[in-house]
Order: sequence, then C-alpha cells, then structure tokens
Amino acid sequence: MSTIQRNPVMTLGALSLMVVGMASCGGDPNSPGVEYMPDMYRSPAVEAYVDYGQDPYYFTEDKARAQRERPSAMLPPAGTIAFAEDASKAAYSMPYPYANDNDGYEAAGLELRSPIAMTEATVEQGKELYVRFCDHCHGDKGDGDGPVVNNGGHPPPGAYSGALKDLPEGKIFHVITYGKGMMGSHASQLNKEERWLVVQYVKYLQNGGKMTRDGVVASTTPAAN
Amino acid sequence: MLGMPLLARISERSTGLLHASLAVLFLLFTTLTQAQPADKALYDQGAKLFKGNCASCHKPDKDMTGPALKGAVGRWEGKGDIHEWVKNSSAYIKSGNSYAKELFDTWKGSVMTAQALTNEEIDAVLYYADNYTPPVTDKPKDGAPVPGAPQETSNWPWLVVIALLLLVVGLSLSGVKKSLTNAVREAEGQEALPDRTFGQNLRAWAWNNKAFASIIGLFIVVFIILKLWDAAFVIGVYGGDEVPHYKPEQPILFNHTLHAGKADKGNLNIDCQYCHSSASKSKHAGIPSTNVCMNCHKAVDAGKVTGTTEIAKIYAAVGWDPAKQEYTGQQEPVRWTKVHNLPDHVYFNHAQHVAVGKLECQECHGPIDEKMDVAEQWAPLTMGWCIDCHAQKEVKMAGNGYYDEVMARLEDTDMGHEALKEYLEDEKISVKELGGWECAKCHY
Repeated sequence: MSTIQRNPVMTLGALSLMVVGMASCGGDPNSPGVEYMPDMYRSPAVEAYVDYGQDPYYFTEDKARAQRERPSAMLPPAGTIAFAEDASKAAYSMPYPYANDNDGYEAAGLELRSPIAMTEATVEQGKELYVRFCDHCHGDKGDGDGPVVNNGGHPPPGAYSGALKDLPEGKIFHVITYGKGMMGSHASQLNKEERWLVVQYVKYLQNGGKMTRDGVVASTTPAAN
Repeated sequence: MLGMPLLARISERSTGLLHASLAVLFLLFTTLTQAQPADKALYDQGAKLFKGNCASCHKPDKDMTGPALKGAVGRWEGKGDIHEWVKNSSAYIKSGNSYAKELFDTWKGSVMTAQALTNEEIDAVLYYADNYTPPVTDKPKDGAPVPGAPQETSNWPWLVVIALLLLVVGLSLSGVKKSLTNAVREAEGQEALPDRTFGQNLRAWAWNNKAFASIIGLFIVVFIILKLWDAAFVIGVYGGDEVPHYKPEQPILFNHTLHAGKADKGNLNIDCQYCHSSASKSKHAGIPSTNVCMNCHKAVDAGKVTGTTEIAKIYAAVGWDPAKQEYTGQQEPVRWTKVHNLPDHVYFNHAQHVAVGKLECQECHGPIDEKMDVAEQWAPLTMGWCIDCHAQKEVKMAGNGYYDEVMARLEDTDMGHEALKEYLEDEKISVKELGGWECAKCHY
C-alpha cells in the first residue's frame, strides 16, 4: 500500500470538514453568530427584553431556570399610581372611578366629561392618535370600514355617522379604557390624556368632520339604556 | 295536421334527453333557491342593517359577544316580543319577561344595545339571519407553504461534491502519470522513481522553482490576511449588505407584512406603533403583550395562510377559550426571540428617534411592511452606520419643542449666530452639528 493511495482519504476528510465549518458560520438565519468580548456586550444590570433565563453567561442553570418561569412584561403592582412629571397632568394619574360593567358604562356616559377643551390643535393631536390606534378598524372617516374589517374579516364596529353618532364622550372614553363587545381595552397603549385626545377626534367625526360648537357635540344626551 | 305527428315523433325520440335536461334544470333550480333567499330585496335590506347595527356583536351563524341570530325568531316564539327586546332590552328585562332575563344572564350580563329600528327593519335583519349562507372561502390547504418557514437555499453541498470529484480525478491522474513514467523508465533500464508523498513532491518542486513558489506563497498569505481582516469587520454584525441578516425563527409565525402592509395589497395597514406603542415614549419600541393581539384576535380566530394553528398559540399564551369565549386565567408568556441586540456599551433610545427625530420605522428597520414575513435585522447597527446617518440627516427643528431652546440660543446670541451660519453652510443643520458625534451621546 503506497502512501499516495492513503492520502486522498485524509485530504478529502480535511477539506470537507473545512467547507462544512465555513458554511455553518454564515448561513444559519437562526444564529446571531459570534461576538467580540461578551462582557462588554451583555449588561450586568437587568435590561428589558433580554432573556437572562436563556443566557448561562451570568447565571447557573438553577437561576436560569427560575428566570425562565417569570414573564418579563408585567403589570404594575395593584394600587400604584404613575408619577406625573408635569404637575398640571397629575389628575390623569388618578385611578379611573368607573367599574368595568354596565353600571359603570352608563355612569361614565352621564357624568364623565373631557378635561380637554376642543380646539383645532387638540383635534389635530387626536387625529394623529386616531390614525395610529383606531383607523385600521374604524376606518378613516369612522364608518367601521378599516382594512382589518375589509381585508381581515374582523366584525365591523358601528359607524360614527350611524349607530355610534350620539355616543356620549364619557362612554367613548370608558370603551377605550375597558373595551366593549369585540373591542379590547386600549388602556395599555394609550394613557388617559391620549384617550381624551382620541375622544376629541371621534367627536369631530361624529359631527360629520366639523368642529362642534363650544367643543361640545350637540347631542350628548345619553341614550336611554 | 302535418305538424302534430312530426312533433310527436320528435318527442318520442328525445324523451330520454328531455327528461334528463328537465332533471338538470330542476336540480339547478333547487340549488339556486337554496343559495338565494325567496325575498332577495328583504334579504339585502336585512344584510345592510345587520352590518350597520348588529355585526359588531353578532354573527348570523355563530355566537360572538351576543348569540347567533340564526333561529332567534324560533327561540323567542311564544316567550315574548323580540321586537321590544331589540328596541330596548334593558326596559324589556325590567318589564318582567322571564326569557329576556334568562338571555341576559346566559350572556354574562352584557347589555344588548338599544336599537333605533322599526319592527319591519328588525324583521328584515332576522330574515337575513335565518336565510344566511356563509360565503364560500378558499380554505388554506394543509400542504401550503408557510411564508417565513426557513428555506434552505445554500448550494455548498454541491460545491463540496464537485471539489471532491476534481480531487479524486487529479489524484488518480497523478497516479497514472507516475505509473507511466515508471514504466517508461523501467523500459529504458532506469531505476524506478522513489515512492514519494504529495508533500515531498511539492517541496521538491518548490525547491526547484524558488522565485515562483515564493511569489505564489506571498499571494496566498496576503489573500488569507485580507480575508481575515474582512471577516473581523463582520464579527458581531448581523445586518446590512455584507452579511446574511439575522432572522431568527419565532415561537409564533407572526407576519409583519400582512399586519402592517398597505391595505390596497390586501394587508391590514396597522400602524407599527399600534403594537409597538412605546416607541414614541420609551427607549424600547416594546414587544406587544398578548392583550394587544387579542384586540383583534378575539374575533379573528383563523389566519389567511396559517389557519388556526398560529392564532391558537396566542390563545394558549393569553389564556383564552375560543369555544366558551372567556379567559381561563391560565397564562404562559410567549418567548419571542430578540432580533436587534445592541451591545451594552452603546445607548440607543427609540423615543428620541421617533418622537423627536420623526424618523420612519422603515429607515432603520427596512421594508418591514413590504417584504418581511419574518422580522430580520436589516441595518448593520454598526457605529459607522450610526454616525454616517448622524452626519447626513437634517434635524427637523421646526415645531418640535425639543429643539426650541437650542434654536433660541442659536438665533439670539452672537456666538449662536456664528455657529448657525457655519451649520447652515450646507443649508441644513445635521445631527452631527448639534453634537450627534460626541462620544458621550451614546457611550456613557
């Protein structure tokens, strides 16, 4: 047996190992690849959205497992009130007094009034938020014909020019806060000030896309039910 | 008189055919009457009223917030007046109707909104519901490819095969050549060549061609160094033009393009910040919690492409029982894989770029609403990429609020005037000119 006959096997082996090794470095979209100096990349202080439970760099397997059991996004402890940097907006941080039931809904409709006077500027701010948070279902004009309804098969919400034309502002705020029927609560996405700004634009749409007299929609008489 | 027998003859001959076509016609007629309600006008009127007034809470054939309306007339038969109920359900419950009370309790005390409809209109809606036939939809096929599922496109196995084949051919050729040489030498009465390895051959060749071998050697060394240099630049870089993008598989096959893409292409056109609502308020754009998913998916329980499998994962995570339409309280966090990982030694703030800088999400995250079924890291996120943009980008000063103080000082002081003139030489104030290249802006 001459060496030249043994050689190809070894050469082939080495070559294929090299090629496989190189390919696995670049191709896998699931792998974030290698990094320089992980101790400068990973924060020892806890950062949001970093799954420390999957990172054995800092933790032993026991601690990692305990971490994995805990959700990273959590509600604030019950009864906490957000700190208002701007004292004039402190009222927005106070708890919402109406319960998430029919009585609360009716009471909000009767008693709750917007703390923001309706002006061109507030309607404009409300529109910006409406476009971001509402119009994919409720539609540009509030007719309940947004793309989520038309293309996504979601049941249509009532139209601001039709079924919801006379919905009082307190009820609108209540529904954004808690949700109603198929609409979910948007309290986690909009703070109270933003909710009132959205209400401004909804009132504007209820009024046929016009500013209302004294910022009050003419028919705020709550419905009978 | 002549006509009659002729007609009779024809009918005799074609009786079988006539019967068959009559049967087909009859079948066609019955199927048509099944699909089309008897009173088309009433049905259409009912459909229109249903969509405008009832569809937020009712489906004709399925329970939602309220019960399916199909058969409601029958259910109310002899128990009360359905018209009164629709017009003002609360008042009707108070009037003491026992079925109304029972309905209210069955549906967990959700009040049926009072409807300003006439008896005829209510009848039209109920007629529509009773005669409703669901539209025929294309159900996703089981074998349909799931967009975003990883697809192997690399061709390196073929390259390996070709390389191996070439190597085998080369080695056997050299073996043949050696045998031939030895045969010739033997024939000429010379001694056979010593049995030497490939390495020994190579060394002997290099020794005999020193200049050539050293030039080739130099080229190889320089090539390897250059390659290593390039490779060192993309370590820790998972986006951009130089490297394949980091595109991890997620626990739920969420399709960004379907949710955020343009409505005229059949997508849902939901604003990025509907789900990533903290992008304008926080350092983090935020991964939406499952309650945000449920704002739509409480009603939409089947996707266009993946059917119910992926949406069922949301239900499992948030603890929603789609059959009973209620939360079970059994929650399990969704373990999303973070795509954009900035190193700890650099500070980045979404709110500064979204609310103050007024950048579009796509400027850094790429065409996420056009062709990203699975989210991937589009930008390289290297420091060079950051400061390039900071050098070029014009600061949107007007009406921003954030820059009012800066602008006032630039306009109202002598020093500010000079600086402003310098800044405006290229007719814009760039981020760099307002300190966007200061080390401590991002590294502290």
